[in-house]
Amino acid sequence: MLTKDFILTKIFIIIVTICLTQFFSKNCFAVEPDEILQDQKQELRARNISKNIRCMICQNQSIDESNAPLARDLRILIRNKIKEGNNNEEIYIFLTDRYGDFILLKPPFKLSTLALWFLPFIFFIVGIFIVFWHNKKSKKILKDI
Amino acid sequence: MKKQLLILPSLFFLFFLIIFFYLLIIDRNPSELPSTLLDKNVPKFETESLLKDEKFISSKEFGNEILLVNFFATWCKPCRDEHIYIKRFSNEKEIKVIGINYKDNPKKAIQWLKELGNPYTDVAVDKSGRIAIDWGVYGIPETFIVNSKGIIKYRHVGPVTKKIYKKINLIINESE
Amino acid sequence: MVPSLGNFALWLSLCFAILQFIISHKRISHFRSKLNSVAVNGLLLCVLISFFSLMYSYIVSDFSVMNVFQNSHTTKPLMYKVSAVWGNHEGSMLLWMLVLTIFNYFIFKLYNQTNSIFISKALETQAFIIIGFLLFTLLTSNPFERILPAQPNGLGFNPILQDPALAIHPPLLYIGYVGFSAAFSLSIATLSLRNNEKIPWYIYMKPFVIASWTFLTIGIAFGSVWAYYELGWGGWWFWDPVENASFMPWLLGTALLHSLIIVEKKKSLQSWVLLLSILAFLLSVVGTFLVRSGILTSVHTFALDPSRGIYILAFTALLGGYSLILFGLKSKKYIKNNYFSFFSKEGSILVNNILMVIVCATVFLGTIYPLLIEAFTNNKISVGEPYYNSTVVPIMIPAILVMGIGPMLSWGREDKSKIFKKIFPSILLTIIITVFIFLFYQSYNLIGIVGIILAFWIISNNFIILFQKIPNRSSGMIIAHLGIGLLILGITGSSVWQEEKIARMKINSEIKIKKYNIVFKEINEIRGPNYVALKGNFLVYDEKKTIITKLKPENRFYPITNNFTTEASIHTNLLRDLYIVLGEGNINDGWVVRIYYNPLVIWIWIGALTIFLGGIVSMTSNLEKLRRLSI
Repeated sequence: MLTKDFILTKIFIIIVTICLTQFFSKNCFAVEPDEILQDQKQELRARNISKNIRCMICQNQSIDESNAPLARDLRILIRNKIKEGNNNEEIYIFLTDRYGDFILLKPPFKLSTLALWFLPFIFFIVGIFIVFWHNKKSKKILKDI
Repeated sequence: MKKQLLILPSLFFLFFLIIFFYLLIIDRNPSELPSTLLDKNVPKFETESLLKDEKFISSKEFGNEILLVNFFATWCKPCRDEHIYIKRFSNEKEIKVIGINYKDNPKKAIQWLKELGNPYTDVAVDKSGRIAIDWGVYGIPETFIVNSKGIIKYRHVGPVTKKIYKKINLIINESE
Repeated sequence: MVPSLGNFALWLSLCFAILQFIISHKRISHFRSKLNSVAVNGLLLCVLISFFSLMYSYIVSDFSVMNVFQNSHTTKPLMYKVSAVWGNHEGSMLLWMLVLTIFNYFIFKLYNQTNSIFISKALETQAFIIIGFLLFTLLTSNPFERILPAQPNGLGFNPILQDPALAIHPPLLYIGYVGFSAAFSLSIATLSLRNNEKIPWYIYMKPFVIASWTFLTIGIAFGSVWAYYELGWGGWWFWDPVENASFMPWLLGTALLHSLIIVEKKKSLQSWVLLLSILAFLLSVVGTFLVRSGILTSVHTFALDPSRGIYILAFTALLGGYSLILFGLKSKKYIKNNYFSFFSKEGSILVNNILMVIVCATVFLGTIYPLLIEAFTNNKISVGEPYYNSTVVPIMIPAILVMGIGPMLSWGREDKSKIFKKIFPSILLTIIITVFIFLFYQSYNLIGIVGIILAFWIISNNFIILFQKIPNRSSGMIIAHLGIGLLILGITGSSVWQEEKIARMKINSEIKIKKYNIVFKEINEIRGPNYVALKGNFLVYDEKKTIITKLKPENRFYPITNNFTTEASIHTNLLRDLYIVLGEGNINDGWVVRIYYNPLVIWIWIGALTIFLGGIVSMTSNLEKLRRLSI
């Protein structure tokens, strides 16, 4: 199992990890004081949008929570766009034009995601049907007894 | 419960099995994202040039011939590792390579290129990282193929390896 | 020497597993018992030897073992050397084997003259599972591989993972979802029963299901505890695919647990139990596949290659295909046409089952949907927290409402007029408490109000049941349900009413959050066993200007792995957590400081612990009962 490929893969992973830690060496911590907008409403909008944008580097976090430099850049970009007067829709489109739907933590409403959004609701309806059907069947059995 | 319904769980299971099997078989990288810019025009931008006195203007540089765009920085170790392949593109394969220096110190970048060798015909300075965002860059180094019409045809995230080097050469040869 | 012993023991255990698998086919019942005993005990002993050989190699830092080299370092504290055994892919497979063989042993403990064929079939199934995972471990993920020449030191390990909660998280979790293998095997044995055999299979299943479910609960909880205390922004659940992989068996396990009660009492819902037992373990195996095959990436996944994935998928296909087709063909006879009304104990459990299955299906959908999209289009999407909040949370609401009433209803059918009389006290209590809370706190928020009502609905109901002093009331159930109420309280408080302050602070500056004044006193450089750190000292004053506590967050640097981590400093009381994190900075500009006010967080952990205790109480009373029936 100690093939060259295997060792190279492991070394690559280590190198990537170390490179990523260099990314974090500035040790900024998520939203920084100098990013915060004066206008509270605008800042709240920025926070809410950021919470829905995936950090592309630490992929289990939103850019609102992430340390990564790209997350910070995007946070600032979002705030600038809000100040410039863009609405939420426009900001999301700006980001998905560049990074794709993957960057949205809330999956978009598209033809391809119809099943994703509607199936839970359908499951629930089916569940209600099962309960009613069972109830009806039970009543019938009771009548027959 | 109708008896036929009892076989449903196994049918759903089969469906998912096929999907998983398919995804394992194909050549995919689960952490790499497909670029949204494929088959689209290169983003327009204007910025300082690292190597030349005049400005770097995208409309002048792109749309003339097929070339590579390589996002790099001196603080990024994999960029250093892949640099030998970038040089090979430029020297051995005589492909034009444009560099974009991401969030870096220009002086350090010039020094870095002096030390490792310069494969780029020009380097655009992206101090703020805004150009990278417009290209959908999230993990440098990243390398793009831009065709002679200024359309982005391919993107690779991460350092260029032997395998990717071959792949890029193949794609470039095929489009000529 | 020891690693070779471990490796040898592992191969030997394969022989015992194959022996156990073959025995069930023998018709000679006299030999069968002895042979099974040899196989089961031999298996357990070999896996124990193997597991502890690996642990020994870690403790003495034997870097000739590849696994130890990759995941350990001489400077690691002893506790984390031990937990490193299961903190990596290969080692965790040994943990899988250990739990599988321990549960295997307990299945064998049920063996007697009357059920010999039944238990043998269960052992055969369990043996098949063990063989599958053993082959995977031995052929693709052997932890005893050597690296020669032996290295002087290891590659260290991620410092974020050196934490007590994270150390204990995998063993507890595995007892949970690997433990569902026993219910799975018993289900297969039941479906394979011939018509003339009268085996109380549901009585055999119950202790295993309660045990698995109980430990899965606390295992998941410890994972969240670690995330909250370690990762530095006060979150504890991210709907990550790996987290979902542990949550889905928990949901089905909950449905299974409740359905077993019905089967025992009234013989209804038998086919539900058989299907749920199969699906719970199958989901555990599918979860293992998702995490280890390299099909998706998350911070939790082990970095592996697709060829291993194909093996696991093939094994999953065999296991799932066989069990679900068997279910499709043989479960007919377990469908009894028993009557029960919607308003009855069985009715509420049926509703709970359906809702748990719906939530499980939704979580499954959300987890694999990105994969489906990728397979059919060339796009990649994310399914993150917002999706689950919109889908799972609303479905949970009726489940919680039913959970309050269910235990109070009678079997078979409840008089609709009596229902209102039964639940009136708890409705009153819930309303009173909720109104009181909001009069006092005055912070109105729709989701918050719903959450508080649901939490106290459960708490009130269970307190009332406690006071009714009805004999034969399962105290385990009351405690566990109470735990859920406390959990909901904690989740609601910390999600809805969290407050945050971010500022750049210089030494001696002050910041106000809620009613607290926090003063940045000083910052020092300190040295730890394998790190250096910058440690801040913050004094917290309440409105009366008395010091409540000192908070000391750290920024650590681990030179061996070149990692930076932030250690939050947290002050906890029953009402809230004060959570402070130190960011970057310098003496001239000051430091970035982030302070959280997290209400009611501790009730999440108290709730989870209470559920766990409820499970333990249930387990002990169940084992008591079994002993009395002398099984």
